[in-house]
Amino acid sequence: MTHSDDVDHLAECSACRQRFAANVVPFDPAARRNREREFTSVGAKLERERDDSSDVVARYLRDTPTEEWSRLAEMPDLRNNAALEQMSEEVRRRLHRKPREALAIANLSASIAESLAPSQYPSVVLAQLRGNAWKDRASTLRYLARYDEALEAAERGEEALAPFASLEHDRAVIRMVKGMILAQQEQFEDAHQILSESRRVFREFGDTKRYIQAGMAQANMLYREDRYNDSSELLQDLLHDAISSDDLEAQARIHNNLGHSASQLGDFASANIHFSEAVAKFTDLGFVAEVPRTAFGAGVLLIGKGQITAGLARLREARQEFTAAGMVDEAGLCALRIVETLIECGEDTAARQLTQDVIDEFTAAGLDARAITAIARLRDAIEVDDATAETVRTVHAFVRDIGTSTAT
Amino acid sequence: MDDAPADLRTIPLPCRVDENVFARIYEENCGVLVSVAVRKFQVPAGDAEGLAHDVLLSYLRRADEIRDLHHWLIGAICNASRYYWRQRGRNIEQLDTDVAAQRPDPRSRNVLTDLPNSIALEEVLDRMPPRWARILRLRYLEGYAIKELADLEGVTSKYMQKLVAKCIQRAQEIFNGLRDKKDRDQ
Repeated sequence: MTHSDDVDHLAECSACRQRFAANVVPFDPAARRNREREFTSVGAKLERERDDSSDVVARYLRDTPTEEWSRLAEMPDLRNNAALEQMSEEVRRRLHRKPREALAIANLSASIAESLAPSQYPSVVLAQLRGNAWKDRASTLRYLARYDEALEAAERGEEALAPFASLEHDRAVIRMVKGMILAQQEQFEDAHQILSESRRVFREFGDTKRYIQAGMAQANMLYREDRYNDSSELLQDLLHDAISSDDLEAQARIHNNLGHSASQLGDFASANIHFSEAVAKFTDLGFVAEVPRTAFGAGVLLIGKGQITAGLARLREARQEFTAAGMVDEAGLCALRIVETLIECGEDTAARQLTQDVIDEFTAAGLDARAITAIARLRDAIEVDDATAETVRTVHAFVRDIGTSTAT
Repeated sequence: MDDAPADLRTIPLPCRVDENVFARIYEENCGVLVSVAVRKFQVPAGDAEGLAHDVLLSYLRRADEIRDLHHWLIGAICNASRYYWRQRGRNIEQLDTDVAAQRPDPRSRNVLTDLPNSIALEEVLDRMPPRWARILRLRYLEGYAIKELADLEGVTSKYMQKLVAKCIQRAQEIFNGLRDKKDRDQ
């Protein structure tokens, strides 16, 4: 029998668990029976609420104007754990594309969680609900770059959990968000400490997904601190975890980030391998938008590092994928990056032809006329040899700002 | 660089769980969670029951996302026990005072001659992981047999023998470090 670490062993071996518990008799058998009854009834109640509330939040959000969402806090069928779980999911869905709506839902969720009757759930469950609602608010505020308020929300969440020793996992989730906020505020030392501690907790709970998530946040921070070797080393460790837990999405994102770190370290051969791995894995996952975005990011970075041929190849690959996915605006923005590089290399004829292609594509797709006019002026400027890379960048920024594209 | 997403999706249970499942989870796990809190962290039995119950209740909201129930629960009770002591201003695990009272420290009989050794020993034990320090105390100050220690910790005698050897090795390393530091300071 192996006992390399007996706590880990207890988690794995039912015989040892039984033996370990054998000599400890219940402190108060009657109290334990009561607690068991409470556990069973709370478990059943949460399940019942989930069964009875399917899509209730989506329906209310659909049928209510956004500016009136705060009033939904009074609706009785939204004042339970299942509805709050659904709100958390709605926040997650909107976080990237509609962060303001995400914030409105997170506010609604916090307002409901804070006003639930103490008798509705055991205090430890109520604390979890409140902690999670504040965590969602902190996340959305972080996306909106309102860092001070985000930090305040995370701390409210921590306060809700503070009296409960048993909520270390919930605490680690909130503190991970807090660490990310501090990283955005460039308080790197505090952020490292918090994220490391969160990782330790996630590791101990066997929560590999969040362990990787916190690790990636830390690796990104190291990258921002120009500590590319440290970032790369951490990402390599995380890649092992992602592979052993069969988490393909995490593998793809880690490869992408390893590609960026390798580029910064001047190891372009390794960078190309990692970018290719990322693209292949996103393709396997069917993440249509992530494939060209990864290639796009790689292309821009490689060109910035003077790897013109490899960078242009990545950008062309990205443009092709954007077009195939029907993302005409992003394909056009990607083309403008290529045009910028071609002009810098003196290849004006190719640049002019590509600009004309974008005009044709935008016109066929019926995109904003102002964008088409701006690109037409760029084409004319290239024609008379009056365009510089700076001109292209100005047009790129203009087209990006009036469109909905995220390919920046 | 890809930013880590701020949240993770939870996947709803595919089918309704009946109350018997919850009862079985409680019965199968409550005892071992209480035992971990009491034996490994010396949380008083009454409080350990409360901690184990709260851990199980907190599991209910996370049930859908937990891949390995036992790993999660054991991690939860270990963390809860540490937090319990942090809340009470202690970062160390507690010695069972009842057990200690039944077996008085044999060194106290020759306190004048043994005091310097005891001080050195305490300095070493203070720097050791709490559980290892407790094992050494019980083995060499309280006179516990390997078998008794193994029963107390819920492990096999063979493993306890190995663990005691590891504890001694670590104590020796710490003692050497302390002696070197004192030599340098003088």
